[in-house]
Amino acid sequence: MSSIILPGRRRGVRDKLSRLHWPLIILLTMIAGAGVVTLYSVAEGNWEPWALKHGMRYVAALGLMVGIAMVPIRYWMALAYPIYFAALIALALTPFIGEVNMGARRWIEFGGLQFQPSEAMKIGLVLGLARYYHGLRAEQVSHILYLIPPVLMVGAPVGLIFIQPDLGTALLLGATGAIIIFVAGLSWRIGLAGVLGGVAAAYGAYRFDILKEYQVNRILTFLDPERDPLGQGYHLLQSKIALGSGGLDGKGFMEGTQSQLKFLPEMQTDFIFTIFGEEFGFVGAIGLLLVYLAIIFTGLSIAMSTKLHFARLTTIGVVATFTLYVLINTGMVMGLAPVVGVPLPLVSYGGTVMLTIMAGFGFVMSAHVHRDQDMYRSGDSLG
Amino acid sequence: MVSVNAHDPERQEIVSRRTVLLGGGVSLFFAGIGARLYQLQIAEHQKYRDLAQNNQFNKRILTPLRGEIVDRFGEPLASNRKNFRILLVPEQARDVDAALDKISKITPVSEDKRARIMREIRRRGAFTPVQIADNLSWEDFSKINFELPHLAGVLPDVGETRDYPHGAEAAFVIGYVGAVTERDLAAQESDDERILLRQPGFKVGREGLERTYEKELRGAAGAMNVKINAHGRVIEEMVDSAVPPVQGKTLALTIDSDLQAHAMKVLSVPGERMPDEPQSAAAVVIDVVTGDILVLASTPAFNPNDFNVGIDPQLWKELNESPYKPLLNKPLSGVYPPGSTFKVISAIAAQRAGMKPSETAYCPGRVWYGNRYFHCWKRGGHGTLDMKGAIKHSCDVYFYEIAKTLDIDLLAETARDFGLGQTYELGISGQQRGVIPDRDWKKQYFAGNPAQQPWFQGETLSCIIGQGYVTSTPLQLAVMAARVATGRAVRPRLVRAVGDLVLPAPEAAPIDVDHDYLSVVHAGMNAVTNEWGTAARSRIEDPDWQMAGKTGTSQVYQITAEDRARGLDKPEDLPWARRDHALFVSYMPYENPRYACSVVVEHGIGGSRAAGPKARDIMKAVAEKDPASRTPLDPRTLARAPSPRES
Repeated sequence: MSSIILPGRRRGVRDKLSRLHWPLIILLTMIAGAGVVTLYSVAEGNWEPWALKHGMRYVAALGLMVGIAMVPIRYWMALAYPIYFAALIALALTPFIGEVNMGARRWIEFGGLQFQPSEAMKIGLVLGLARYYHGLRAEQVSHILYLIPPVLMVGAPVGLIFIQPDLGTALLLGATGAIIIFVAGLSWRIGLAGVLGGVAAAYGAYRFDILKEYQVNRILTFLDPERDPLGQGYHLLQSKIALGSGGLDGKGFMEGTQSQLKFLPEMQTDFIFTIFGEEFGFVGAIGLLLVYLAIIFTGLSIAMSTKLHFARLTTIGVVATFTLYVLINTGMVMGLAPVVGVPLPLVSYGGTVMLTIMAGFGFVMSAHVHRDQDMYRSGDSLG
Repeated sequence: MVSVNAHDPERQEIVSRRTVLLGGGVSLFFAGIGARLYQLQIAEHQKYRDLAQNNQFNKRILTPLRGEIVDRFGEPLASNRKNFRILLVPEQARDVDAALDKISKITPVSEDKRARIMREIRRRGAFTPVQIADNLSWEDFSKINFELPHLAGVLPDVGETRDYPHGAEAAFVIGYVGAVTERDLAAQESDDERILLRQPGFKVGREGLERTYEKELRGAAGAMNVKINAHGRVIEEMVDSAVPPVQGKTLALTIDSDLQAHAMKVLSVPGERMPDEPQSAAAVVIDVVTGDILVLASTPAFNPNDFNVGIDPQLWKELNESPYKPLLNKPLSGVYPPGSTFKVISAIAAQRAGMKPSETAYCPGRVWYGNRYFHCWKRGGHGTLDMKGAIKHSCDVYFYEIAKTLDIDLLAETARDFGLGQTYELGISGQQRGVIPDRDWKKQYFAGNPAQQPWFQGETLSCIIGQGYVTSTPLQLAVMAARVATGRAVRPRLVRAVGDLVLPAPEAAPIDVDHDYLSVVHAGMNAVTNEWGTAARSRIEDPDWQMAGKTGTSQVYQITAEDRARGLDKPEDLPWARRDHALFVSYMPYENPRYACSVVVEHGIGGSRAAGPKARDIMKAVAEKDPASRTPLDPRTLARAPSPRES
């Protein structure tokens, strides 16, 4: 009997490759391509120092994604908790063995490689939460007792990252966790209470000076950019000028005067959307956003079509992280969100984030490839 | 195990429903982003296009020149000089390391310095210029200018830097400036000030008057628009619309830089018996009429120019670890037992207690009190002496006899009346009070030890010769000499004028003391130098400038019987740090006092041998110049050329 009518059976690698979601791969590659083009332009028409490396990293990360997709999703399910706790331990150790960079301890050395436990946690938290909800019946999800473990699972890493201090990543993780819990079926009442509690906590943090001065400044500047036109608000103002002067069809490839004039800092990372928007205009920027939206909807449809509950929630988590990146970054450069240092996925220069994103889509892809597999709540295989 | 059935249709249904909701929410957010894009790029396109045009102009801060610090006749003690330096705009250089490598080939950039530059870039952000090297020679500066086309992001610049033309001479008065720290930024009241302080190479006062008068010396920033080309280089400066910076106010001091220089030289001359020992010493000269401090000298001293460019760590270590404490402002912060110089106070206090100066005492060389002998410095004794003779010969036994009945509180009150045990408003931090002990002081000092709290009369015997608990600073001793000489509560000052504002001389109220009490002290002090007293060698021959003085030798270490057994009984045999301090206070002219002086030579052994001659040499120079007879600088006449300067 063929594996088509015997779900859960091992498939050959070639068979699996044919089951990859090729449209999704094409969409992701389009985004990465936009990244290469923009980085080439930022470097005033040079492959160095960013564009070439970005393209090569994408190819490597794509390989990683396919590799992850080849592994049956149930194996990843078995590894979910170990991955989560490994990331949590690394995160807890970072204050003691981490490298200080830009005033924050975020990196640790591991076998000669630098790695950022907070990035690993973006994957770990998604897997851990999905694994947890896989073991719950529908009516248990909204039971207050069953809510305690996931709240702790989210709260511990968020707290650790917050004190690093990395407000942006902490908020991103917290929001991702909240979305998974929401999609898993938490009742509206409890969800609403949680949101109100979060708002109260944020206000408390502001009132009692838990936030660092620069964090408060960023939020205040976000609310009123004119407040500090030569300091924090400078980036935002320059960013809006660059975007706005781009107009309907942009100034053209490599013609962006604002970004080329170096009025903008960090053009190759956090503010890259600005250059893209300046050079390719409203048409180009909307086009890029539509490709992002297509990726997100593809992800959501994969989540709905896969049988395994763990796979569904993992996919939701990865797509949620990706979506938050896009929304926060674009919102930030247009003055809709505070400048918190979140890159534009697959376009911004930076290896770690690209790896995280593509590894995440590896799980999504694995969920798609193995969409017919199902398992017991305990994690034992059905077949 | 909760359930074996993985298929949970209800659960799947919820997830599907919520996923659809999520998709709807995401769509809404994207619509919001799209709407914002529309607003910026279509609706407000015109506005931002205009702004983009203007963006090619940048506001540039023009740093003001720091106010000068000048001496009483206008001689600059702290000024500004041209500083050839190079700045780097990190975001234009792109690869900062490579840029630094290239610069290193012309002027070395140490690893240390490189780390500091990197830190600064991280702190200030990529678009603020940072200083890479300064105080370059003209040759190196030209070479870098020549290489400029290959050095992206490098800006050559002619800045101004603080200069201390007199180097170490007035280091302790002026202090020094240093680089701006985060704490400095946080302490600023306005954003404008913060922007000014963030200018590359900007310095703020760190010590001394530079620090105290930071606000007055700093000046006000100006601003200028500059036009920038596609590479970020300035192509045009909008000079017409520029707001020029305003130089900081000039600080005019009471110091006489000639006399200050002379005093520093005199203090540095090694003692005749210890030619190898550096002189760790302090000297203060005060105008007794105005309270103006003419000399405030301390040796060895640091050179403030070393601090100004960022001190070399090795030098800093040496300065900190030297036993001669070159970083200690000895006239204000050094505390020493005043020794026999204190006897002028004791003599006044004794008269206040009812003693007649004509009363005599017999000195056999020592006196028994309580359970031990108190020795006179002269082992054979002085014989019979009255008060004037006791001062002239600095007889200890004479004062021991007084101390047997003298109330310590009266002695302390007299000491305070004449300027000891207090600090003065000079604008220099770190001033020490010293200790003038009385009953209350002892109660507090021994708060944890009730047995020691009552005052023992034997302790008065130590205090009356300026030993025991009594300590003072050289500044206090100079004030004491001035007050004894005039009978007025002379208050010392260091700053004569801030900007155009001339400060009035502080009020010197008469001290509530019978003038006859002072006369005998004056006579005694005159005898010390001019009638073959303890400092006969320090006599000034010029009859117009007769100097009256008092020697002091304060014990640091008591030579024990064991030491004597080991053949060690002269102070010269002791290690430097255990030798006695040498002190001398004086005033002149004797008949009509104008200047008072104190000299302390740390571990100099004898007041008459080590301190007196130095005081004489300083006072001779003072007499020769007689600064009080010359018209001091009128600050309103200072030329104030506006000197706009860009950074």
